[in-house]
Amino acid sequence: MAEAVSDAALVERFPWVQISHDNKHLFRGWLDRQLLIQRCRDCKRFHHPPKPICPACWSGRLEPTAVSGRGVVHLAMFLRQGAPAPGVDYEKAPHPVVTVELEEQPGLRFTSTVVETPLDEIEIGLPVELVWIDRYGAPFPAFRPPGRAAKGGR
Amino acid sequence: MAGASGTTSAATGATGSRRYPIRDQIAIVGVSSTAFSRDAGGRSPASLACEASIQAIHDAGMTKADIDGVVGVAEPGAPRANQMAALLELPNVTHHAGPQPVAMFGMIDAMTAIFSGQCDTVLVYYAFMRAPWNSRSAAQDPFRRYVMMGGGTAKPPMPESMDPSAAYTAWASRYIHEFGASREDFGRIALNMRANAMQNPKAVMRTPLTMEAYLQARMIRDPLCMLDMDVPVDGADAFVLTTTERAKRITKNPIVIHAATAGVVGRNDEDQLPSLARHGQHVVVESLRARGELWLDDVDVFFPYDGFSIITLGWIENVGYCKPGGAGRFMQEHWDEKTGRVLINGRVPMNPHGGSLSEGASRGTGHLREAVTQLRGDAGPRQVANARTALIGCGGFFFNSQGAILRRL
Repeated sequence: MAEAVSDAALVERFPWVQISHDNKHLFRGWLDRQLLIQRCRDCKRFHHPPKPICPACWSGRLEPTAVSGRGVVHLAMFLRQGAPAPGVDYEKAPHPVVTVELEEQPGLRFTSTVVETPLDEIEIGLPVELVWIDRYGAPFPAFRPPGRAAKGGR
Repeated sequence: MAGASGTTSAATGATGSRRYPIRDQIAIVGVSSTAFSRDAGGRSPASLACEASIQAIHDAGMTKADIDGVVGVAEPGAPRANQMAALLELPNVTHHAGPQPVAMFGMIDAMTAIFSGQCDTVLVYYAFMRAPWNSRSAAQDPFRRYVMMGGGTAKPPMPESMDPSAAYTAWASRYIHEFGASREDFGRIALNMRANAMQNPKAVMRTPLTMEAYLQARMIRDPLCMLDMDVPVDGADAFVLTTTERAKRITKNPIVIHAATAGVVGRNDEDQLPSLARHGQHVVVESLRARGELWLDDVDVFFPYDGFSIITLGWIENVGYCKPGGAGRFMQEHWDEKTGRVLINGRVPMNPHGGSLSEGASRGTGHLREAVTQLRGDAGPRQVANARTALIGCGGFFFNSQGAILRRL
């Protein structure tokens, strides 16, 4: 569906991120609630953040590829101050930011926030899955422990 | 003191095994600083850079006609090198450049320009200004509105942006996870810098700091608190570099650059770094040991960069003073109770000027300036006895790891 979104419209949907020739597929994927990570058609390696070539084999034959979004928290911090975003109130609660190592490839990581989870449960080693939240009226990829939604959240 | 027998086997064995014709060939003959402050009283970075530059040129016993190279590190708001040539009306400039921060990029550019013959004598300057995004008082100053992070075009970051400053906190969480490090391990970095800054009239943070106060300091990005992060300042540092051959003719105490290097790993995007066991600092250490003939046993004063406390823990371990994860224990074992700071083997201090945490955020130029000052024997009450060799670990894990060995001839 988002294939139909023009470059200009894409930039307008995400006025708060720097969209470029090299990362536009990532944000087109967000509009479809798909996490598309660049994968090399030749050596099959994923890489992130998006680059114009495969940094491993230098092939230019890249394919934005949907990943499961499942992974394990590799880095975790809790911001007491930071950039503004809707739904983020640093005075009320620290904002968790995690880097998740995705199950598709060792060392392939994606950084976002964690939702629906008490802060004291967010730690390195925690298995998580992808969940789409809203930010400025567009889908935004976040993480939560598997099955969390069923139990209700914060 | 468990480490009194010396250091790990990594202390010895620097080889100078690599082709490195520039070794000891470039000298620092002029140095100056405006001193740092939380508010320089309505002065621009250009004004501060001019003051430091003129003093450094005078310190070298030179005039404007001697300066044929200008290197201005591209700190936000700092004048570009060609602008500095205009500010000082330098008549003979044949090399000018504006490398990115941090400190050693400017030094390495100047060294290689001199060694290759692009010029003979280089002014290297660094100017820092508190910016609207890192200082509440700076945000009130209408004359600072033009200073944008990353040059002015970037969108404001989102909370989940893994910019370098956030990424150090993220990797600090990993360090704690892998090694079971305590907050006190980080706190000792802050205490060491503060105790040293109290001996440095140019430092901005000179009130005593206790572990209790560290543990109660405001969290900024948990697990790092305000005292794990360097202090934004207004100020400028400047250096004059020339050939060692010329330096011997014009000064009694030339300080030579024995080896200097930068280093990055291939995957240096902040959140994609291979691991705490493989990043820029490791490349820097390998490079310094291959290019230099001096190492830890020779070092009299140690300058691990401390823009964030986690960077310092990394340097202590990665230069080989102790094992990975051992920096906290190492500092305890080498803690000098009398002065409230680290003295490695009872002898080698760590950032005697107070570092970026307490002297002020200079992205390593304070470390470099203090190294020159110590090696010249000009450090007054904080002078390290007979300091001949300084090891500088500059920058952090990602894009700006650098190092240098400076020595007195």
